[in-house]
Amino acid sequence: MKTTKTKRLNQSLTLSSLALLLSTGAAWAKSDNMHQLYQDNCASCHGSDHGGYLAPALNADTLKGRSPTALRTIVMAGSFDTLMPPFYGKLSDDEIRGVIKHLQETPKQPNPAWTIDDMKKSLKVYVKDESTLPAKPTFQIDEKFENLIGVAARGKYGRGEGSKAIFINSATHQKVGEVSTGTAAHIIDFNPANPRWAYVKTDTAEIFKVDLYSMQAVRSIKTGWNGPGMGVSRDGKYIMAGSFVPHNAVILDADTLEPLKTFELEGTDPDGKHVSSDSGMIIGTPYADIFAIALENAGQVWVVDLKKEGFPVTRIENVGHHLHDAFLTHGGKKLMIASYDDSIVAAIDLEKREIIKKLEAGCVPHVGGGSAVKVDGRTLGFGTNFGDCDKTVVSVWDLDKMEVVKQVPVSGGTESPAAHANAPYVAVDIISKDRRARTIQLIDKKTLEVVKTLDVGGHAYFPEYSADGKFLYVSAGYNGDEVVVYDSNTLQKVASVPMESPAGIFSRGRVKYMTRGLSPDEMEQGK
Amino acid sequence: MRAKISLILLAGLLAAGSSQAASLYAGQSKAAAVCSQCHGIRNPSADAPFPPLAGRDPEYLKTAIKQYRDKTRKSDIMNAIAGSLTDAEINDIASYYGSVKP
Repeated sequence: MKTTKTKRLNQSLTLSSLALLLSTGAAWAKSDNMHQLYQDNCASCHGSDHGGYLAPALNADTLKGRSPTALRTIVMAGSFDTLMPPFYGKLSDDEIRGVIKHLQETPKQPNPAWTIDDMKKSLKVYVKDESTLPAKPTFQIDEKFENLIGVAARGKYGRGEGSKAIFINSATHQKVGEVSTGTAAHIIDFNPANPRWAYVKTDTAEIFKVDLYSMQAVRSIKTGWNGPGMGVSRDGKYIMAGSFVPHNAVILDADTLEPLKTFELEGTDPDGKHVSSDSGMIIGTPYADIFAIALENAGQVWVVDLKKEGFPVTRIENVGHHLHDAFLTHGGKKLMIASYDDSIVAAIDLEKREIIKKLEAGCVPHVGGGSAVKVDGRTLGFGTNFGDCDKTVVSVWDLDKMEVVKQVPVSGGTESPAAHANAPYVAVDIISKDRRARTIQLIDKKTLEVVKTLDVGGHAYFPEYSADGKFLYVSAGYNGDEVVVYDSNTLQKVASVPMESPAGIFSRGRVKYMTRGLSPDEMEQGK
Repeated sequence: MRAKISLILLAGLLAAGSSQAASLYAGQSKAAAVCSQCHGIRNPSADAPFPPLAGRDPEYLKTAIKQYRDKTRKSDIMNAIAGSLTDAEINDIASYYGSVKP
């Protein structure tokens, strides 16, 4: 029999009875339970290996000397201007004290395993017979099914009822469906070959195969402990997913989600050290049956051939220190990949499988989905910067000549640029942790100057244009709890779509443009 | 001299009208910084045990926050948070939340 004593935190009847209800069944702060409590409440952001992920690492090392009382306050009340929610009322005071003690005693775990057998066992089938699914969308949307926009709604706690992939018709700005994901949705990819399928990856590395016509998940599989990396092949037959924890990647059958092959991510880093590596971005390209995957710590890009027996890998080494995200250009033959620690973006030729050039990229480049636009005959690439150093710029490169055109000063660190062939401005999200985080800035495509700052509210991030370029969608994230829609030309607010802690926004137009801002013709070049 | 008198008059007017003259803008920014982490703006999280504040009677909100502040109503967390608020801030916050449609 478990002890179920709960310390009363207050006299407020509603709150204390709720707290009592929520923590009934929870035991005293035992350390074996605390491991599970950490995994169930904290690990989706702080990392299953205690090594940090979206949020800081929590282990004996990082928390050394920190006051348990101060930590308890953060856990209870949450942390302002971050995604850290208040656990007051969700965890009992004993649990909060217990988990803090547990964290201050626990070292970072060495790469906890998640094998292909674990993956196979985690496969869930929600719709057995897919032929029973409707033949057409069950909601109002354009004939070509292009106006669909998916939003990764994290939910305040990064899990639970608020965690969903929410889909919107960008002609009406109305929600057309939502799919619960259990933990925070992070990435939404659309199948380039069959419009009815989307794939949603969560922060705990589950992938949901979603039927967009009926707006429901048909299958899911857990591909790891943490990590956002996911790509879909051009023929829509394969998905590749990569994890931060553990250090592996997997190719799945996109139809059944069955794992076909796993890859241990390790290699020699640019300093000559052999390292085990997190997975960075994974991308399929319209030009060939390949995936490109970034090995964050090993500084390598691997090209995986899907049409060859055993999915062989070509390793491109010495790309940079700490690789992260990337975007495609030149019909998908060239890959622009950001390297955090060198503050460069490396241009890679995916055909020749070699580095073309390393371009200056501001301070800690995080290109998000990247953007590229044709302006007066030139193809310009736009890259944002995570870093909050002196040099807060958005880098603009000429993607034909592979040279820096301009570094446009913006008001803070940025995370994701949005562009569209039909929209006059490139939108970037300012993420510096003060009032600036409420804003996005708009860069005129022609003059390459910031011409307007929009006060969106919340923590405004991940701008995305609708497939027709008429509307700009922005997440008012954290406590903003809405997606705000602007007219792309007048920049007037035209709609608001409420949801809990929205983050990434993904237009189905992306399968048509390859990289946001390019015209569909660009993709044709690759074929 | 005249300037001084009108200033005093103005200050008096502002003080007298303070219960009405809440700033929704200041309330919005204070609510975002202090309250919304738990209570949300329109709604708290679907998973959260916190009560919604949007659309509540501002007078009720004011009374409740002041009770938390002077600890006549006890709650570890609310006593601490309300303890940092001035009368004017409480007024702004209550009026702002009262004006938000849930």
